[in-house]
Amino acid sequence: MQKVINISLNGIAYQLEEPGYNLLSAYLERAESRLKDSPDRAEVTADLEQAIGEKCRAVLGPHKTVVSTAEVEKIIEEMGPVESADEKAAGASADSAAGGGSSQTFTPPPPRKRLYQIREGAMWSGVCNGIAAYLNVDVTWIRLAFVLLTIFSSGFWFIVYIVLMFVVPVATTPEDRAAAFGMPFNTEELISRAKKNFEEFGHTYRWRREWRRQQRHWNRQFKHMNEQIRMATAQAGPIAGNTARFFSGVLAPVAALIGAVIFVTWILAMFSLVTQHSIFGWYLPHGMPWWVGIIALVLIYSAISAPLRMMRHAGQQHANSHPAWGALHGLMWIGFTVLLFWAAYTFFPGVRELIDSLMWAANLTVSTISETIV
Amino acid sequence: MDPTEKLAPIRKGLLEFVILKIVAGDKVYVADMLKLLGPTEFATQEGTLYPLLSKLRREELVDYEWQESDAGPPRKYYKLTAKGRTQLSTLNDYWKNLNKTLADLGN
Repeated sequence: MQKVINISLNGIAYQLEEPGYNLLSAYLERAESRLKDSPDRAEVTADLEQAIGEKCRAVLGPHKTVVSTAEVEKIIEEMGPVESADEKAAGASADSAAGGGSSQTFTPPPPRKRLYQIREGAMWSGVCNGIAAYLNVDVTWIRLAFVLLTIFSSGFWFIVYIVLMFVVPVATTPEDRAAAFGMPFNTEELISRAKKNFEEFGHTYRWRREWRRQQRHWNRQFKHMNEQIRMATAQAGPIAGNTARFFSGVLAPVAALIGAVIFVTWILAMFSLVTQHSIFGWYLPHGMPWWVGIIALVLIYSAISAPLRMMRHAGQQHANSHPAWGALHGLMWIGFTVLLFWAAYTFFPGVRELIDSLMWAANLTVSTISETIV
Repeated sequence: MDPTEKLAPIRKGLLEFVILKIVAGDKVYVADMLKLLGPTEFATQEGTLYPLLSKLRREELVDYEWQESDAGPPRKYYKLTAKGRTQLSTLNDYWKNLNKTLADLGN
């Protein structure tokens, strides 16, 4: 099932699948920024929209009312990159063709991709989700990095998360989400935006507003959670109520606990494999390089955690996918993970040695980096 | 590398001349221009053609008129202006001279 977005191209409405809409709006935004200095910008944009509309109409029929993502991709390819036909650009391209220096004016404008918090599918506030969309990697890796950094920085990294929660805007409209997933990113824009947001954060007491908004978000989540519990108790008789209660009441903590145990074991096994080339004293079969072990561990972890993930999705569907479930599960998962790491560190000397040596390596890396920079 | 790629900038520069030649005939719609150019060395895309046509119109070399279409909103049909016609004949003469020079060189 795909979400469909209604758009108007030069006054005519079309329906596009959401990923296709994201592609098309990125294409038109790039076209507009290419034509920024052209006096014909409005006219060319209208012409392009009409041409795209005509191509959309060509793929639609009485029994097909939505333009698919693949079709949008094809249309964009047919349209080709928009090139300004102006004298300046033509001159610059002639220069660069002749090996001249003024290619500066002809570099394509930076693609527009922005960092947002994405609430859909978020565990807590959507910071990790937004970063994952921005860097185009799976959100699990970002969450993992955040948890590890929090543990290794004795909690300091958690403050970074809180700061990001206030500084990074929330993607509320489809346009925001398009920009969040948009085109390849560049670091320059990220830094300048972060600076700008930080300045505003500094002077305009924006943080108060953000804090209130965050509180409202949490209140909503808790309200949902309460409603869920009330509903489950109200329908105590019917099986549906029992199942929902069973899923949210029993499976959530169990899934979180099992997930955390597997996760912590996996991380420790990874560490021990990297540092000592053995998994808790068990050596790999002779002649097997240690990186093969790493790959095997990753595969085993994803195989073991797959049923858990499925269970979580099932639970979310049962609870009518309201946000409380994900938030509850996420909080419990983080809690169990931290607790287990602490327990392993306290009760197993081997684990302590491992983490201490890793901390030492991390400190060394950080000090080397800071020395290099200074 | 295909040696003809060395002349790609020239093909690009000639595109304006080519468009003037096309609209010198009957009134044309952009999709038809693209279809006409598709199989030739001057194959191009909307992304290039629309900005170029708008520039030519701003320079008063071409003009367009709206025509109703059976499928969808009215379309712009482009045609050559008087100024465009003079420029086209200048360019035509220049192109003939270039060809002559090239043919004569080395003989």
